[in-house]
Amino acid sequence: MAAIMDINNLKVSFSTEEGELKALNGVNISIKEGTFHGLIGETGCGKSVTGRSIMALLDNNAMIKEGEILYKGENLLNKTEKEMQDNYRGNELAMIFQDPGSSLNPVFTIENQLQESVKMYRNTSKSKYRDIIIEELKKVKLPDVENLLEKYPHQLSGGMKQRVMIAMMLACNPNFLIADEATTALDVSIQAQFLKVLNDLKEKLQMTVLYITHDLAVISEICDYVSVMYAGNIVEELTVDELFKNPVHPYTDKLVHSLLGPETQIEDLVEIPGSVPRLIDPPPGCRFHPRCEEAKEICKKERPKLKKIAENHSVACHRR
Amino acid sequence: MDSKKVKFTKRLFRTLLTIIGVTLIAFLILHLTPGDPARIMLGQYASEENVQVVREKYNLNKPLPEQYFLWVRDILKGDLGTSLRYNKSVNKLIAERIGATLKLTISGLVFSLLVGVTLGILAALKRNSWLDYFSTVQAMFWISIPSFWLGILFLYIFGLKLGWVPIGGMVGFSSLILPALTLGLRQEAWFARPMRSEMLEVLNQDYIKAAKAKGVKYYLVIIKHALRNALIPIVTMLALRLPWIIGGSVVIEVVFSWGGIGTLLVNSVLARDYPVVQSILLFISLAVVLANLLADIIYSTIDPRIGMEE
Amino acid sequence: MEKEITYEEIKEDISNLKQQKTSQLSLVWRRFKENKLAVFGIVIVALMIGIAIFAPIISPHDPYETDPINKLQKPSKSHPLGTDALGRDVLSRLFYGARIALSIGILIILFEGFIGIILGILAGFLGGWIDKIVMWLVDVLRSFPVIVLAMAIAGILGQGIYNVVIALGIVGWTTYARMVRSKILSIKEADYVEAGYAIGESTFDVILRYVIPNAIPTAIIMVCIMMPTALIASATLSFLGLGVQPPMASWGSMISAGRDYLLQAPWISTSAGIFIMITVLGFNFIGDGLRDALDPTTNRK
Repeated sequence: MAAIMDINNLKVSFSTEEGELKALNGVNISIKEGTFHGLIGETGCGKSVTGRSIMALLDNNAMIKEGEILYKGENLLNKTEKEMQDNYRGNELAMIFQDPGSSLNPVFTIENQLQESVKMYRNTSKSKYRDIIIEELKKVKLPDVENLLEKYPHQLSGGMKQRVMIAMMLACNPNFLIADEATTALDVSIQAQFLKVLNDLKEKLQMTVLYITHDLAVISEICDYVSVMYAGNIVEELTVDELFKNPVHPYTDKLVHSLLGPETQIEDLVEIPGSVPRLIDPPPGCRFHPRCEEAKEICKKERPKLKKIAENHSVACHRR
Repeated sequence: MDSKKVKFTKRLFRTLLTIIGVTLIAFLILHLTPGDPARIMLGQYASEENVQVVREKYNLNKPLPEQYFLWVRDILKGDLGTSLRYNKSVNKLIAERIGATLKLTISGLVFSLLVGVTLGILAALKRNSWLDYFSTVQAMFWISIPSFWLGILFLYIFGLKLGWVPIGGMVGFSSLILPALTLGLRQEAWFARPMRSEMLEVLNQDYIKAAKAKGVKYYLVIIKHALRNALIPIVTMLALRLPWIIGGSVVIEVVFSWGGIGTLLVNSVLARDYPVVQSILLFISLAVVLANLLADIIYSTIDPRIGMEE
Repeated sequence: MEKEITYEEIKEDISNLKQQKTSQLSLVWRRFKENKLAVFGIVIVALMIGIAIFAPIISPHDPYETDPINKLQKPSKSHPLGTDALGRDVLSRLFYGARIALSIGILIILFEGFIGIILGILAGFLGGWIDKIVMWLVDVLRSFPVIVLAMAIAGILGQGIYNVVIALGIVGWTTYARMVRSKILSIKEADYVEAGYAIGESTFDVILRYVIPNAIPTAIIMVCIMMPTALIASATLSFLGLGVQPPMASWGSMISAGRDYLLQAPWISTSAGIFIMITVLGFNFIGDGLRDALDPTTNRK
């Protein structure tokens, strides 16, 4: 399977009152076409920034310092805003956001929200709009679709809003969907429903999905591959099976073992000492070294590069 | 649906209570100081007989609550009393002048809305640019000038020195422009700044990012998605600024000798013609109360999230 | 396995927290200083206060001394801003006018503030019927334009400084009441107040430790923000003939008096207006600067 997107050495910083926040420090991700690729890391490690960099939806104080984002061979970072808007956003790349409450425009009905997508990207006549909208809403398993059309976002529950969000983005027929913490704000039971819908869509549509989350459980449910991110760097990229059978990087290892399950004993729980570094003043070399038990001299000086250690498995570590 | 009706009834009730309060204040004005209201109105040199006549005519001999009810009863009948100074019915006095005041107030309002909202939007879109800076500075400038002085300055420069407009009088557009401009420029600042911050807030929202993510064209994102949300609070702002707009127009009328209710009010206050003063107070405050109610109704129709908010 | 926390570490933690608090204050001060307009505002206001305090010393003439022969003179060396219709020195009257303007302003704010803050606290803290009545009063008063109602009241009370203060005070306390009430309501609901109650602090303690310290920055901002309104309102009343009238030197009445002589002696009205404008601008700059410095997240930069 070919890679539909290659992010190479992406470095992004933000200028803030307190200095330059070095959010992304050379991110490398390779996403295969038609797969669900997870991006996991703790809050503040830069996952959302990565997602928004792809869509070119970063805040005004963001600076792209280095790197490229290759999508179907083209470097997105070279595209102008107009090109992104006309050629990529919507019909090629789409994104769903974390907070369903604020991602839908409160003054438009559900029908209106989807109608915009349909109008822009599906070449049909006006009379067909409604049918297409209903079809899209049914795809995400929303109940009682006809009545839903004239409702406003605030009248829906969080889970329903999130599904409307997907429907709205999918109605654009994108090839690549970025889900930025899409389930984080949902209750666990709603989460389950949502993931079912996604799984369902995975089978039906030929879509690539970059799924950004901090929740390992979600990754294990729907993703095929996963990139593990720490403090602005990708430390490991592997299949989800490998993640649970054979995590190689010290951070990934600890992450996987900190997951609670019904058979976990308290003694087995592993705590990672220390805390996530502030990215205004990140530690030199490998950004994980202050918390790593196996840190050597070289870890403090040189940032490890992502090396392939097996088919579909790469690690960035001096000790492996 | 039902809760909307309940909310609306509650709001109506509140409006009613406010109206009652407003009548109380308009009534009590005359009775603020110890001393005989009749004598206050006629001055210390008036003869005792005249004072007696006035007392009779305006029920000033009766106990206060009874006076109030009599006064309200008359108002409900449509009788706003008789002016001491002109010896005309107040209704007539107001009717003669309301047109002029409306002309001034409405033109000032329209100007301030158009300029203020436009500046605010542009300032938000071109944040931190020279336009933004200019918009903020000019807003601060207009707010810091007393409107009466601004009016006098304009009169001096454009009327006396340059002779572009007539000084005083109410003939046609040329005499309307200066007072309307004076009123409008001051008020415009009160729309420009909130519009800017509202617009900035809206532009920061996730649904704007979502719209961009869909590939919606920039100008559509602004006009269709952003403005539709950002303009909503302007309705409230309008209702909020109405007392100030009216207050401003009163003062400006005096500066430009504009024959509206404002000059009538000021002259009546100075002449202690309190029947007129009370009626105009009531008239103005009722207009404000009703305008607020209207604004609430409009707001609830254009913002789908709100019923009749408290 | 738990590490034992030593006394030294606790002391260090506390001094770190203290540093954080003072560094917060100094952060606010730094932001304020960087705002050039705000600093400029302080300079202007300080200048005006200085003029008001030292008016007797810096005025070239007695502001009340009439000299009808030399009326309506152009600005000259002996009368830097000319004379008015009764031959009084304009500049001296302007300097003395600063006294009146600033002291009226402060009196108004104190008076309005006193009524408003007390009613606001009662309404916010006690709630129930008291709240409903206070808010009703607020609604009713806010239905009148400030100038209109103040005008009517001042008309009944008569001219003079104190009547201006009373008239504007009766009308204007609503802003303070609302601000204070909403601040108290939000503090009441705040988590740290609940925490205070939870560990057994009495209501009085709660007010002292949480409510008041949070209310103080708001109070300071309120003065800077309300001063312009007070200044312009009192000047307007004087202009209309209701407030401070000649021979007392108030800026508003000077503009009004100068109006009749706009062609011959425009400097009378103009200079008085400029003084008002500059003072108000100064307070507005400060107020804006304070707002930005204390809460830079509100989309101003």
